[in-house]
Amino acid sequence: MNDLLEKINSLAVDKFSAQYSEVRAQKLKKTLLTLKEGRVEAAKQGIENGVALRVLVNGAWGFSSVGSFNFSDLKIAISDACRMARAISKRMKKPIKLAKTKTIIDKVGVETRKNPAIIPLEHKIKNALSINQACLGYDKKIKSCTIDYLDLFGNNYFATSEGANIKQDKLYVWSRITSSAFNSGSFSFSREEIGSTAGYEVFDEYPPEVIGITVAKRALTQLTAKPVKGGNFPVILGPNVVGVFVHEAFGHLAEADLALSGGILSNRIGKRIASNLVTLYDDGTVEDAFGSFKYDDEGVPTQKTLLVKDGIVKGLMHNRETAHKFNMDPTGNSRGESFRVEPIIRMRNTYLDPKDHSFEELIEDVRSGYYMKSFRGGQANIDGTFQVGVQEAYEITNGEIGDPVRNVSISGNTLKTLLKVDAVGNDFKLWPGRCGKGQTAFVCDGGPHIRIKEVIVGGSS
Amino acid sequence: MVVLKKDEMLTLVDDTVSLALKKGASEVEVYFYEGHAKNVIIERGQITKSNKILDRGLGIRVVERKAVGFAYTNAIENDDSISEVIVSALNAARASNPDNNWNGFPEKNHYFQTDNTYDNKIIHLRSEDLVSIAYEMLDAATSSKKNVLPIEGGVSAASFSSAIANSNGVRGFDRGTFIECSLATVMKKRNIITPVCFEYSAERTYRIKPAWVGKEAARLAYSALNTKKVETKTTNLLLTQFAIQSLFSNTLINAVLADNIQRNQSPFKGKLEEKIGPEILTIQDDGLLAGGLGTTPFDGEGVPQQKTNIIKKGLLKNFLYDNYTAKKDGKKSTGNASRAGYLSTPSIGATNFRILPGNKTPEQMIQEIDEGLLIYYLQGAHSSNPVTGDFSVVATPAWKIKNGEISHSTRGVMLAGNIYEALKNIQMIANNERKLGSIISPWISVSNVRIIGK
Repeated sequence: MNDLLEKINSLAVDKFSAQYSEVRAQKLKKTLLTLKEGRVEAAKQGIENGVALRVLVNGAWGFSSVGSFNFSDLKIAISDACRMARAISKRMKKPIKLAKTKTIIDKVGVETRKNPAIIPLEHKIKNALSINQACLGYDKKIKSCTIDYLDLFGNNYFATSEGANIKQDKLYVWSRITSSAFNSGSFSFSREEIGSTAGYEVFDEYPPEVIGITVAKRALTQLTAKPVKGGNFPVILGPNVVGVFVHEAFGHLAEADLALSGGILSNRIGKRIASNLVTLYDDGTVEDAFGSFKYDDEGVPTQKTLLVKDGIVKGLMHNRETAHKFNMDPTGNSRGESFRVEPIIRMRNTYLDPKDHSFEELIEDVRSGYYMKSFRGGQANIDGTFQVGVQEAYEITNGEIGDPVRNVSISGNTLKTLLKVDAVGNDFKLWPGRCGKGQTAFVCDGGPHIRIKEVIVGGSS
Repeated sequence: MVVLKKDEMLTLVDDTVSLALKKGASEVEVYFYEGHAKNVIIERGQITKSNKILDRGLGIRVVERKAVGFAYTNAIENDDSISEVIVSALNAARASNPDNNWNGFPEKNHYFQTDNTYDNKIIHLRSEDLVSIAYEMLDAATSSKKNVLPIEGGVSAASFSSAIANSNGVRGFDRGTFIECSLATVMKKRNIITPVCFEYSAERTYRIKPAWVGKEAARLAYSALNTKKVETKTTNLLLTQFAIQSLFSNTLINAVLADNIQRNQSPFKGKLEEKIGPEILTIQDDGLLAGGLGTTPFDGEGVPQQKTNIIKKGLLKNFLYDNYTAKKDGKKSTGNASRAGYLSTPSIGATNFRILPGNKTPEQMIQEIDEGLLIYYLQGAHSSNPVTGDFSVVATPAWKIKNGEISHSTRGVMLAGNIYEALKNIQMIANNERKLGSIISPWISVSNVRIIGK
């Protein structure tokens, strides 16, 4: 494989005068399951092999992807990539340049106690069936349970015209469980996700029965939840909601490509954007976490990147292109979902650092507000408007957790909201997720419980 | 890589069906997909990237003892790898549990020809041509409004072919083309930046409107710059296609899929022939719509696509079925098995989900609204409750309508409510139908929605 990759890079540079050439080859095996109320819709196994070729010619990118390892196919693909790059370079006003990075030669294997590749499919189905039984069996009002399961193992080969050569194996295990409940004309819906780069041992940490019951309980709680009154309220966010809040509301704005596109962080490095209780990291080094890896898809080592320290912006997430523009070092955030797509700036494990408050201390001063425990989804805009939809939330009255509420989301301006964080808890949890930015990336996000003095709560009553 | 011709694709799927039967499958379905795409990508006002993607592969579904197994591969160069993927599918079926509701793959059928779904001009576009289209769009944006930043966008041209065969004699081949251009803009003035505004044009034949996209994306960002707050109240919404697409695809479409009906995950269960909207509301799923983005002669299981009435004059008429759910209910599939290339098994989905246009112009609709909001983009619609239809989303930017005129833009307004309540509160439907992904819709006005301002 190495010879093949190097031959292609040489061809790009010597024959088609590329300034830079990079080849990413991938051999991938996947197992997928979908179960609906215990019916195995289909047990699925797949193979995806292919090569991504990326070149820089006259300051413009060319990219070509092909599902083949044949030299003759790759020769055509690299010639296409160079020709296309040259075609778009003609009207470029600001040619692209790349920040320097150490040229790495390395081999990275996967260490796992329970390799999903050698666990029989029958066992994986049985495991999913236990989740299903725990969920559906918990209460008669639980009407449906959908379980998606995925494991994938990939050999990734990476070589550049600068001499980098990295073979990196990657392993992911992921599952999503959703459930709906119905009682006297009222519906509810709940979900939970687990994911790990450790291996099948993730089910030791989250036993099937526990996951099933968690999802069922949440759906039941939501059945009796009442609509929420919209308006400005103090809120306590649980680690799961803090995670999606720092990921969506802040993290995307700290991706250097979005910052360059006019995002609100581009001219705020070194400035205060949050209360001094807020310290944020994007960290690719957390052991076994869903967003961890050793090298990114430009061959840059991953790292623990400090984004905000005590409320002051300290850095952004970069690839080699944006690092050059900002005159910074690349941070190892460049990731491509597969050989079909180009690498772009993505988060890894993004979290808020814990401080010193206990949960009781956080909640005791809230006279009338909400506790947001688990999220359903979130989205941010370049101007700093964020929205986080919540699937499990409760009223807080006089420092006590009260009744569950439904159909809740929080919104506001990211920077104004971060300045209103007035207490940060001493606990910590990371949650796995899949982030969409045209392509999917496996990530984690999380933090401790936090309190926000005031945020807009969307409700219908 | 040698590009396969129609006959070669059909031979490949036929041979694979025979081989799987020989290897012991009691039933088999083989699906082949090949896609070619060329894109140029705009970042911050200039084209920075160009790419070309060739993706093809084979997906095989086999059944043994009523247990279904599926395997796919994109390595199809030699017979060995095809043999391996059949074995992999059989192993998956053997590891799985029987499904007593399994009633076989679809039967052989006749297909209709589709119109305006293939255009040779798109096949022959070179990167240089895409560059010209992209600059036509960019130049239209920057020359029409000063200080508008086109932050991202691009032009894509794609072609795809698929072939299907199963052990019941189903046999189909289809090819199609697709082209789109899109542009996202913001406007920056001193320290103020607008939310992202966006326009897009996508067609099956070469008739996109790059200059219109550029001009419109610039106009929207420009008009979103000066904002005023709006108050918290219950009011009227005028929903454009962007808003309808994001709300409906996360709620209403789920509710009419037979799978969700059968699994008690839809509030429409048991409500056929009931009134769920006003008389002016008619919705169809039309898999044969000329030039539709979801138009093909047959669905992901080789069942002919068709036009299905979902809501007719406010009455709920039909649900959308694939082969499995149809047989379970003793019905005929409506041809709604959709497939993500060769990588997935079929699942139920809409083809072209079409809200039939009314007779008012959008201008007339604005004139008839005393007070309300004109809604383009919604943030967080994917966090709507897919079962209950509850939504709690942010509209940004949006435009305030007062006394029949657009008075100013606003940002960060929250809308909260329930989609099924909103359907009942539809007041007017415009005549300005357009395609947006799998949804074809005009503007719709809805009364009685709670908005939370600042």
